[in-house]
Amino acid sequence: MLTRQIRAWFENRLARSDNWTLTQRNLYILPTKAGWGFCLTLVVMLLAAINYQLNLGYALTFLLGGAALVSMHQTHGNLRRLMLHVKAPAPVFAGDAATVEIVLDNPGHERHGVGMGLYAARRAGMTFCDVPAMGSSVLRLRFTPDRRGRHGLPTLLVETHFPLGLFRAWTVWRPAAEVLVYPAPEQPAQPLPPSLPSGSGEQQARSGAGGEFEGVRAYRRGDPLRQLAWKKVARTGEMVSRDTSASASQALLLDFGAAGGAAGEARLSRLVAWVLAADRAGLGYGLRLPGLDLAPATGEAHRRSALQALALWQAP
Amino acid sequence: MTSAALASPPPAASIRARALAWRQWPRDTRDTLFQLAVIGWTLVPHWGHLPFWCGALTAVVLVWRALLALGNGPLPGRWKVMAVLVVAVGLTAWSERTLLGREAGVMMLVVLVALKTLELRARRDAMVVFFLGFFLVLTHCLYSQSLLTALSMLVSTWGLLTALVLANMPVGRPPLRRAGAVAARSALLGLPLMAMLFLLFPRFGPLWGLPPDGVGRTGLSGSLRLGGVADLANDDTIAFRIRFDGAAPRPEALYFRGPVLSRFDGVEWQPSIFATARAAPRPLDLVTSGAPVHYEMLLEPIRLALLPMLEATPAPAGGAPLLLDWQPWLGHDLQWHTDRLVGERLRLKAEAWTRFEHGRQIDEAELNSMRSLPPGFNPRSIAWAQQVRARLGDADARTLAAALMAYVRQADFVYTLQPGSYGSDAIDEFWLGRREGFCEHYATSFVVLMRAMGVPARVVTGYQGAEPPDADGFRVVRQSHAHAWAEYWSADAGWVRADPTAAVSPERVRASRSLPPQPGFVAGALNTMNPELASRLRHAWERLDNRWNQWVMGYSRTRQFNLLRELGVQTPDWADVARVLVIALSAVAGAGALWAWHDRRRQDPWTRLQGRIGSRLRAAGVPALPHHPPRRLAAMVRQRHGAAGEALARLLDRLDRRRYAPGGARLPERGWWAQVAREAGRLKAPLPAQPLAPG
Repeated sequence: MLTRQIRAWFENRLARSDNWTLTQRNLYILPTKAGWGFCLTLVVMLLAAINYQLNLGYALTFLLGGAALVSMHQTHGNLRRLMLHVKAPAPVFAGDAATVEIVLDNPGHERHGVGMGLYAARRAGMTFCDVPAMGSSVLRLRFTPDRRGRHGLPTLLVETHFPLGLFRAWTVWRPAAEVLVYPAPEQPAQPLPPSLPSGSGEQQARSGAGGEFEGVRAYRRGDPLRQLAWKKVARTGEMVSRDTSASASQALLLDFGAAGGAAGEARLSRLVAWVLAADRAGLGYGLRLPGLDLAPATGEAHRRSALQALALWQAP
Repeated sequence: MTSAALASPPPAASIRARALAWRQWPRDTRDTLFQLAVIGWTLVPHWGHLPFWCGALTAVVLVWRALLALGNGPLPGRWKVMAVLVVAVGLTAWSERTLLGREAGVMMLVVLVALKTLELRARRDAMVVFFLGFFLVLTHCLYSQSLLTALSMLVSTWGLLTALVLANMPVGRPPLRRAGAVAARSALLGLPLMAMLFLLFPRFGPLWGLPPDGVGRTGLSGSLRLGGVADLANDDTIAFRIRFDGAAPRPEALYFRGPVLSRFDGVEWQPSIFATARAAPRPLDLVTSGAPVHYEMLLEPIRLALLPMLEATPAPAGGAPLLLDWQPWLGHDLQWHTDRLVGERLRLKAEAWTRFEHGRQIDEAELNSMRSLPPGFNPRSIAWAQQVRARLGDADARTLAAALMAYVRQADFVYTLQPGSYGSDAIDEFWLGRREGFCEHYATSFVVLMRAMGVPARVVTGYQGAEPPDADGFRVVRQSHAHAWAEYWSADAGWVRADPTAAVSPERVRASRSLPPQPGFVAGALNTMNPELASRLRHAWERLDNRWNQWVMGYSRTRQFNLLRELGVQTPDWADVARVLVIALSAVAGAGALWAWHDRRRQDPWTRLQGRIGSRLRAAGVPALPHHPPRRLAAMVRQRHGAAGEALARLLDRLDRRRYAPGGARLPERGWWAQVAREAGRLKAPLPAQPLAPG
């Protein structure tokens, strides 16, 4: 209990930063359990050397003692002057793992066995890498946010035991980057709501009719494959998409108020599932939340802004 | 249990194939096999002096573990390992009759290390193996501290450190060479610290008494007991080295005096209870004649409170101490005593007279005690002696001794180190029965028979003889040169030495070689092929070993104090040594802190270069800012100075290309900065510096 409080206090007094250069100020070093064991071994060896008056025993004990002390500097030097940068992770759905990429830049000699993990995980599930001299390596960490919204990255722990494992040097780093967490889509997904009375029937009919009434426009990046006008593509060799801007006005409106009787967060989850379903189906959709209205549209950008709106929506 | 564990092994052929393809071993297999190899290397030297079962058990366990690693088999369960451990403890207790003591401890350690390799499950287990391994390395110097042992220990230590480094390189499959280099680097960087600690760590005596050794060995012990040891191991460790200035005495005069044993309880010989009394009951009546022999002695830690000086070494003239920092004294039995065990190497110079007389004035009570025999022991020998005495009539001590020596020469006595064990009336059995024995049998029988004839006599132990001199003139005396002889007392000559062993085995005394050790296979082959080369090699090696012993292993409290005297401490004691050590350690720690302080201010070389360029350019009137790349600076130089700055601008452009071109270098070529400094120095600001351009 007390340790948790101390850890929390320690964590909170750290400044958030996306670049973290390891210096003497933010690197800590203490003997490991193995280090204490080694110390005990050395004491026993020294006692044996004294009691049996073994000069060679003294020499061996002091050789190991010298190597251990040097290894303390080497362990510290294995992290010192490393520069860490974090890349902001791509948005994820709540409950899915977000992957954080950390770049370790090394302005000095080769580093071995640099481990990284979540501070809260208490050294469980660390990943390790070597960093070449004058080079850099990338480490990927996964963590799972459980609520929607903008989250700061979790506090990270960077540590090493190299070379002899007798000392542990570590630093604690709070990256400033944030990750956008969408609400988790509802499981199992509910069917899409009936479209607005003006558009739904027409749309159904049109989908069946093979798109004769649609206009076409040049392909834009992000257009789903099903939206391509394949016949025209085959005929002309140009990439063209069906123009859905016309149909969007009659499209689906995903309304917070119409998303069932569940509580607020559950409604958001249902809306997210609907957004995903509509996007997969290539349907145009609009979004209506209390205090926020998104005009119907399709495409990747629209999907993102819809999901972002759902992630960040606050009840007015 | 091996068959049970290998009940379903992978086919032997596949293991063999995998063992040969060592480059394709998975990392775990390779690391485990490397660890096993290092542990095997550390264990092998012990097999020579441990019982057979111990060597066999550890070999089986290590090979078993290696097969498991090659075949990726599961490790045996905890109970199996515990069962083997219990068996090993039982065998140790059976062969050593104790679980305490040095031999038993080493045996247990060897078995534990081998068995622990079967339990390498977690990181913690590996660490335990490493630490036990380091301790195991240390145990080698209990048996030998020679140069060869030191080299073998160094290899073991390096191997263990390498394995430790490997355990802390969790990524990929780091090459062994890389891990070995890291380990060597740690150790080498630690060398100054090691040297400092070695020189300055205060040397004091043992902290507590050591359990005695259970194995019979040649050597001095301070008491003597017949029949207890049936089979004497020939201990070839060196007791001391001696170098004579000038002519060396004849080999048969090389008697080095150790404990004098005059108390006999029927089984064991002990020194007189007054032997170690510092204040002699009367002045020593040592009369020397002839020319003295000057000699220098390098004494190994023989763990006895005495100095085995050449007979007879009187106290140095003028009251000078024989040995600095020690207070040795010459007892009235002519033995040199010390106030503590010789636990370090000592170097001393002395002079001796091989012709001497002593003990003529001695009181009757003491003489009587040297005539007494415990009642009830060895009745037949005593009766035999009294018969001889009766036959010879009123003969003096010299005649009686000559009669005993003649008997030894005529009867079929055999000198052997494997006499078998003798019962409680050992002298009867030896003198009148089997007649097989070594110096102790001859000396003690002689003394008992002399006493039975009414002549005061006592046993003297020590060393006899020495090896031929090496290139530096030092002659080695080994523990196998340990010897026992007798002294009897006669009114006209005092104590007279009599060595009955010389009567049965004159070469033991004259040739100065006890029983020659069997040469090893390689040495034997070399000896037959090229004896001269073999002997030259041996001599060179022994000289190297001798230097090692003198300068490294011979480092003692005395030498430590000498070092402090050279450092300017007037009368050093161990507190001074500790003080100097603390000062030196503080200096090292201070240097480390200073370096860390310097390191904190150390910049990336590129940043530092940018800073230097910026300050030069600002001095030349160019408003350089830290974020300006070199080409921007070049443009600013051209703009500010025109043609005059062209050379400088080109230099900056070159730097820009060098740094930012694909595959570019991090830093400019050598000499670049000197040119820039020169060019920038020529460009003095023609106008007062402009205010810096906004960012």
